[in-house]
Formats: sequence, C-alpha cells, structure tokens
Amino acid sequence: MNKLIARTLLVSAVLLGAAAPALAVDAPHFVDETATAGIDQKYTGGWEFYVGGGVAAFDCNGSGFPSLFIAGGSSPAALYINRSTVGGPLKFEKVEDSPLALKNVTGAYPLDIDGDGIMDLVVLRVGESVVFKGLGGCKFERANEQWGFDGGNNWTTAFSATWEAGQSWPTFAIGNYVDRSAPGGPFGTCEPNYIVRPQGQHFGPRLPLSPSFCALSMLFSDWNRSSQPSLRIANDRQYYRGGEDQLLKLEPGQPPRFYSHGEGWRKLEIWGMGIATYDLAGRGYPAYAISSMADQKLQVLSKDADGNPSYEDQALQRGTTAPHPFAGEDHRPSTGWHTEFADVNNDGYIDLWISKGNVSQMGDFANKDPSNLLLGHPDGTFTEGAKDAGVLNFDSARGAVLADFNLSGMLSLVVVNRNANAKVYRNVGFGTAEKPLPMGNWIEVKANQPGPNRNAIGGWIEMRSGSRTYRRELTVGGGHAGGQAGWVHFGIGEAERALVRVQWPDGTWGPFVKVIANNFVRIDRDDIAAHYWLPPYADTASGDAGKN
Amino acid sequence: MKRRRLFCAVGLAAVALLVRPAWAEDAIPPDQTPIGDEHAVPYHLQEADIEVGKVPLEQIRDFGKLLFSARFTTLDGAGRPSATSATIPTHRPAGEVPAFMRTSGPDSDSCAGCHAQPIAGGSGDFVANVFVSPQENEFDFDTIEPELSMERGTTSVFGAGLIELLAREMTVDLKHEEHLGMAQARASGQPVRVALATKGVSFGAITCQPDGFIVTKELQGVDPDLILKPFGQKAVWSSLRHFSVTALNLHHGMEAEERFGPRWTDEKDFGGNGVGETITQGDLTALVLFQALLPAPTQVLPADATHRAAAEHGEQLFNQIGCDTCHRTSMVIDNPIFTEPGPQNIAGTLRPQDTGKPFAVDMRKLPWSSRLNVTADGKIVVRAFTDLKRHRIADEDRPHFANEKLTQSFVPVDQFRTAWLWSIGSTAPYGHRRDVTTIHQAITDHGGESTESRKAYEALPEADQKAIVEFLKAQKIEPEDAWRAEVAGTAAQPAKVQ
Repeated sequence: MNKLIARTLLVSAVLLGAAAPALAVDAPHFVDETATAGIDQKYTGGWEFYVGGGVAAFDCNGSGFPSLFIAGGSSPAALYINRSTVGGPLKFEKVEDSPLALKNVTGAYPLDIDGDGIMDLVVLRVGESVVFKGLGGCKFERANEQWGFDGGNNWTTAFSATWEAGQSWPTFAIGNYVDRSAPGGPFGTCEPNYIVRPQGQHFGPRLPLSPSFCALSMLFSDWNRSSQPSLRIANDRQYYRGGEDQLLKLEPGQPPRFYSHGEGWRKLEIWGMGIATYDLAGRGYPAYAISSMADQKLQVLSKDADGNPSYEDQALQRGTTAPHPFAGEDHRPSTGWHTEFADVNNDGYIDLWISKGNVSQMGDFANKDPSNLLLGHPDGTFTEGAKDAGVLNFDSARGAVLADFNLSGMLSLVVVNRNANAKVYRNVGFGTAEKPLPMGNWIEVKANQPGPNRNAIGGWIEMRSGSRTYRRELTVGGGHAGGQAGWVHFGIGEAERALVRVQWPDGTWGPFVKVIANNFVRIDRDDIAAHYWLPPYADTASGDAGKN
Repeated sequence: MKRRRLFCAVGLAAVALLVRPAWAEDAIPPDQTPIGDEHAVPYHLQEADIEVGKVPLEQIRDFGKLLFSARFTTLDGAGRPSATSATIPTHRPAGEVPAFMRTSGPDSDSCAGCHAQPIAGGSGDFVANVFVSPQENEFDFDTIEPELSMERGTTSVFGAGLIELLAREMTVDLKHEEHLGMAQARASGQPVRVALATKGVSFGAITCQPDGFIVTKELQGVDPDLILKPFGQKAVWSSLRHFSVTALNLHHGMEAEERFGPRWTDEKDFGGNGVGETITQGDLTALVLFQALLPAPTQVLPADATHRAAAEHGEQLFNQIGCDTCHRTSMVIDNPIFTEPGPQNIAGTLRPQDTGKPFAVDMRKLPWSSRLNVTADGKIVVRAFTDLKRHRIADEDRPHFANEKLTQSFVPVDQFRTAWLWSIGSTAPYGHRRDVTTIHQAITDHGGESTESRKAYEALPEADQKAIVEFLKAQKIEPEDAWRAEVAGTAAQPAKVQ
C-alpha cells in the first residue's frame, strides 16, 4: 500500500478514535510526601550540571524495597535506604558515611555486574566515573581497579549495559557530552562516547565510538527482536554539528558500527535528553519515547520497515508531543528530560512520564515548565493527567523514577530537581494518604537465570491476560541519567490472572507460567511454576533482610 | 435498523424517567408507567443510597429478587453485540450476532431461567447447562466439544451467604498462617514449613524462605494466593458478586458498571447494546444480597420411621467410610456478619474500599436463621457437607468427571471443588454436567483422591449403600412457605440436626 495512504489511514484511525470525547481513565492520587520522606537532596551546580540529575532505584539490602541513589551535581550524591512499611508512607534514611557520596555525580544505574546476586552501581560523573561493587546491606566498595574499569575523565551523561552472547561480564556504553577543554567549544566539540567490552571476568579497554554527538541518553535495546541488542543514542543537537541520533550495531566479536541511512535508519535531529521504551503498538517491537525541546518524540518501528531500523514518529497522533507547558502562564516551548513508561493507575494501559524544566536560563524556552504524566487510553492515545494526579510542579525537573517503593502494587514517584529538593510522591490510588485504595490489578515480576547476567538483561517478559499481551524489555540504561532494577511492574486492569513467559537473552523462550494477580513472582529459567514472594507485612519494616 | 434505533431511543428515554429509587416518594406508581412498557428492570438502585442506609434490607432483598427473576429485555440493555462473554471486558469484531446463542451466550434472559429447581435460586436440569470458555479468541463457538468449551450444570445458590462467610474466614486463617511463617523465616534466617489448615481442613503446606519466597509444591486445593474461591464448580469465583458480574454478562449480556463501565474500559457502552451500563453497583449489591440471604438448605428426614432410621444410619455410614473427609459435615462461622462488597474482591468487582461503607447483615437475624444450629457460644454451624477445597476427583479407572479438555482459571481438568451436598435431595441430576441421574452413580464415579472412600462404599452391603443414599436424599431446599411455617411454629418440626 502506498506509504502516504497508509500513514494517512493510521493517523485518521487514531485521530478518529481520539476525536471521540475521552472518558475518564482515572488518574491515581499522588500524595506529596517530600517533607516527611526523609530525602533532602538537590541537584546543584553550574553549566556542567545543567544536564544530568539522575536517580537510581534498586534493592540494596535484600528487603525487596527499592532504595535510592540520587545525584547531587556539585553537591554530594546520596544513598537513601528505603525504610517504608508495606503500603505505608514513604520513608527513607540517608546513609551518612557512604563511599557513594561523591561530588560531581550526574547520574547512576544499578545492575548486577559480577553475578553474585547483589546489585552493583555505575556512577556517572563529571570527572572519573566509578563502578561500585555491592556488598549487601547497602554497603558498597569502589571496584574500578578490581574490575579493570577505566572511569576516564569526562563529562559523562549517559550509560547503558548489556551482556553480549557468550560473555559472563557486561558490555558498557558510556555517553559523554561536551569536551570542556576543546578550543572553540562548546559548539561542535562533543566528547567521544565509549564502548567497554569485557575481557573474561573484568572490563577491557575503552573503545571510542566515532562519531559521537554529545549523548544525553543511551539504551541497549533489541529493536528487531534478534536477541542482539543495538545501542540507541539520543544526542543533543544544541552542541553537535552535522550530527543526529544514532543506532549502533554490536555483534559479538565484531567492531561496533552505526546503522546507516542506506540501511533504513532515518535521520533524527533533536535535543535528545531521555529514552524510554515499551511495545506500544503491540507488535512485539519496542517503541521509544525520546524527550527533547519543544515536541517530544515517539518513535515507532514502521510497518513497512521490512527488517530495517526505520522509525516513524507517532507523538502527534498519540498525544505525546507535550510541546509546551500544559499549565501556568508560560507558553514557550518545553524542555524534556527523563522519560519513563509505567502504568501508574494499573488499568493495563501504559502511561508516560516526562520530566520537564528549563536548562537554566534559556530565554526561548519555558521557565515554568511542569513535568507531564500522560495517561494511556485503550485506543493508544494519551492525555495529560499530572494535575489530576497531584504531581503538578514547576520545579526544574531532571531525572525521575516510578517504582513500587512501598510494595503496594502501585508505582510511586521520585523526581530530581535542579536547585530544589527532590520530590517524593506516594501513589495512593483512588484513596488518600490515610486510606490508600488500590486501582487496577497488577503483577510484578523478576526474571532469574543461573550464572552471569542473573537478571536476564537483554531478555523480555511477556504477559498474557485475556485477549491482551503486555511486553517489557529488560534493559539497563535510558531515561535521563538514571534507571532502576528490581521488580518489573505490570498493570493488568481487571484481569485476575495471567500467563507469563520470559524470552531469555539468548533468544530462548521459557514456558508460560501461571500467575495470580496482585502478587510478586519470580520466573526462573527452566522452571514451570512461578515463585511467589511475600512482602514483609505488618510491623516488619524494611530493614536488612535476614543475614544479608 | 432504523426502527430498532427508534425503540432504543424511546427505551433510553423511558429508563431515564424510571431511574430513581423504587421506595422514593416520587416513584412512579404502576398505573402511571408507560403503556406497553417492556422494561424488566423498572428502576436502578444506587450504591450510595444503600451505604447511607436509605434503603431497608427488606427492600434491597426484594429488589434483588426482582433482578434475579427479571426477564431482561433489550430495553434493559440485554445483549452484548460488541463484547464476548470473557470475564475481562473483551470486544468482538463488529458484525451480526444472534441475540441468543446456546453455546457462547447470551443464553438466557433471566437468572431464574436456569436457577429454578425446585424454586428460584435453585439448580437446573441438564437442559439448563451452560458452556464456559475463555472466549478471548473463540467468542462465538457453536460446538459443545470439550476441546472448545466446558459444559457446566446450574448449581443452587441457597445458603450461599453462609458458604461465602466460611470461605472468607478460611482465607484469613490461611493468610495469617502464611504471614506468621514468613515472619518467622525472615527473623530466623531459616526456611519455615507451614502446615496450612483452617476449620479442620488441611490445605497441605508451604515453605517460607528467609528471602521472602514461598515454596508452594505441597499446596493443596487452593490457589497460591490462598484465597478460597467457593463458587463455580472448579472453585474459581471468590464471591457471589464476582460470579454474578461475570454471569450477568455471559448469560444475559447485562454489563455491570463496575467492570464494563468507563472507569476500566473508557467506554460508556462496551457491549454495544445501545443502553450502556445496564447494572449499577447498587443493583448488583441487591442481587448479591438476595442470593446471599437465601435460606440454607436443611435436612428433612422422611416421615415414616423405617425410612428415617435408614437415613440416620446412612449418615453414620457416610462418616464411617470417609465421605466426610472431603464432604465435611459441618464447619463453624466465627463472625456471622455478611458484608457486601466482600473483602476478596479485586479490581473489576466492587471492593469494600470502593464504597463508603459496606452493607452488613447479621446472618443470625434473618427470618430463617432460627432453623440453624448454633454452638454453645452462638456461632453458626454450617452443615454444607463440603470442605470448599479442590480435589482430584477422577483418574484412569474413574474418568467420568475428567471429561473436559480445557482448564478453567488454571485449574487442572480432573480437579473440582467438593460439591455442597446440603441440597442434593432437591437438585438432581448430579455431577458438574448434570449428566448423572442417580446419587449412587455419582458416588461410584468418584476417583482420584476419593478412591478409598468410593471403594469403601462399593464394599458395603446394598442396604447400607441405599441408607447412605436415603440420608443424602434428605438434604433439601425447602419452599419458602414450608420454612416460614416451621419458623412460625405452625408446621410439624423437622428433625433437629445434632
């Protein structure tokens, strides 16, 4: 079919569906618990810290509750241990003497590098980036030397990781921004990005990627379901010359190379700040929400891509352009940062968070620029819900994370702000702070396999309930300078049960496993039954678990 | 099509006029209802009115009875041309579909169309069987082959409120045992094996790991969520309400607002019936309460001494040969307060937290409650002859009850919930397909976990076998006039159950 006709029909179909009055897909209620959560963290600093400001969420003590590591920019970063109770208010306790409390941190990502079952942390910095080995009990030690990781001395703003086939150690992608020392900078002076491939049980030397275009987000993602993730890079057109967003092909044992326009890769020149991924079209291929200035992007693999990385943008027809503030008096274009797909009301229709905030004092762009919480509808469109949800805020947001911080089945929100305290919002569903009321049903899943890459990074979780299929790719990277590890959350609406299976990183599909709704389950490779996990209820607070 | 649209429009207008509480001062008197009106549901009940106590219990029940017996019409919204019968709201492709479809539904215009034996609320004959299937993909199946559907008989709902109360308490017990075991495992750093039992019924065991994971390999007869689901032949519905919402859509195309409404589907008329949500939350509460408050079946021993003696002897034998291992004679309810909506409902079925205040009924204060046995401390004894647990009931030697090829809600094909026998004397034929005509045959068809008891029955002399049958025949649903007469003391007193 003619591409123009096909596109027109698609736009018409979606718009016609969207043209009907949108009925209420309820926004959840978020309660602002910033004042009582125990988090006192601002992302501060000059030019080097206009970008970054990420947050990592992960269970560092085996309690099941995600704790937080928050970048501080020119201020020290901080680790906050989650002390919440199940379903209760969000409470965190700062670790005062942590080796993680470095300055010049732009962001961080959690992953289990050495396969010991304890989360490690990659900390991005202006200066030397550091990998920390998790010791359990939220203790960490620097591991650059131990693991042979060259942290460099760069303005590091992006990161992603994957396990290449046959490797027991991960491959890192390090994204760097502007070379501050280059003459004539900052325009046209982007620092090289790097690939760090393993050598046995430690890291090899850094390999520069050329060309590099001032990366602000990177994500290893299996865009074509080949079980061989490629590296998507969102670049900032503010400072590159002759650049664009990139897709890097990484084949085992082969030098990495960028997909070319001849191979179907379409030029995308944006102020790329954050990458989020979800199978939006329901065809089994990841779509990418990429933040930018003015129009936000939503890249979906074209139906006529024919195996090529050809993407079309569906932000307009789906209602995710969010080009300017939806509230307030400032109508100048927005600046987007962290993006994240998550089902905040558990209705089974994915939602999209976009952090917003002026770079600093860019006069052509909105200064009072609230972040978006776009609620997904059954017809694939989105509508703004931040105000109804109670998360309308005009701070200059950067990183963020939506995670089940109190193991209630509902995703709560932490937002990092430039020169303002991080915001903490507890999701209370239909209810109130005193009486949270759950919305839709949910299932939270962990995939587990023996040996290296225990968390199956590079794999997929597929969940079927009724006539619907939900898919989540297991990744490390993306967002804006931060990410999370742990339970993979699925909102499933009114479904009471689901069949869940994992496509493991090597492409092997596991069997469908039966799971009852409103539970935490682990899917083990080669096991036919789900392993249910019980949160520590009642008076058991989120302390260190057992003898960890 | 145009005429149908006109009738729908008129119907909509009529419903708009009629949507007001029936007990309200401004209710339309019967002589002022539109001439020729064919709405089966004259009004809708609002949950908020029930919560604030605006509607007396008697009138809630009466309205529920009206709904149960109503012959739903298209004017009420019966029919679901654009939806399947699936539990989760699921659209079907547009196209002409018959108003009634014997296999995939809608297959009836009234609950009482099938639940009618011996009276409304009871069971149904083989002719009233229904067909259950996932209906995500095979939404208009016209075959009764077990590869595509599961054929089920219509069960009685008499005493269902007591059954649900038992299930709720047993769930609380099991979850409490699980939580205690897990707390112990976490504190000690060692695995803790927890034998799960409640009200004398064992559900096997779980092992709680110190990292929070639960080993469920020894779990028996209940889902890993430990929620007892007493309704449905395979124990898949956790509450009367849960079942009713699904059944209304499946059998009648009457879509409940709480599951098919805009909150979850983003549509006002998911089923495409032209009326929109046809059952309000209040309507469903009334329908559930009507069912929940139906009298419990009772034992009506034969009048003549010979048959009575046989029945009493049969009860002794029933216990001696181990039938009561699964068909437990009785269980005790600790808290007789039936609240609606119930605590185990999840999204898609009204939950207690969705309402301001659940409606509460003391089951000891119903007109028929004086017939119930109570313990010395006033607790209700539910003599239902069930453990509410799933069991493997068939095997290669006795395969009759494992005829199905599809699983329902993850339950294996050879497993069913222990049937409640307290109404078996009124609800022939027997079996999940109502394809067994004698109690004797139903017993001898038992296999799997019940093999030992079945063999013990088969080893009995014929007279003893018949005594057991005579005992079971005495477990009956009594017509309302009979139990009202008994309560009023104007009828011969039935034999009291000890």
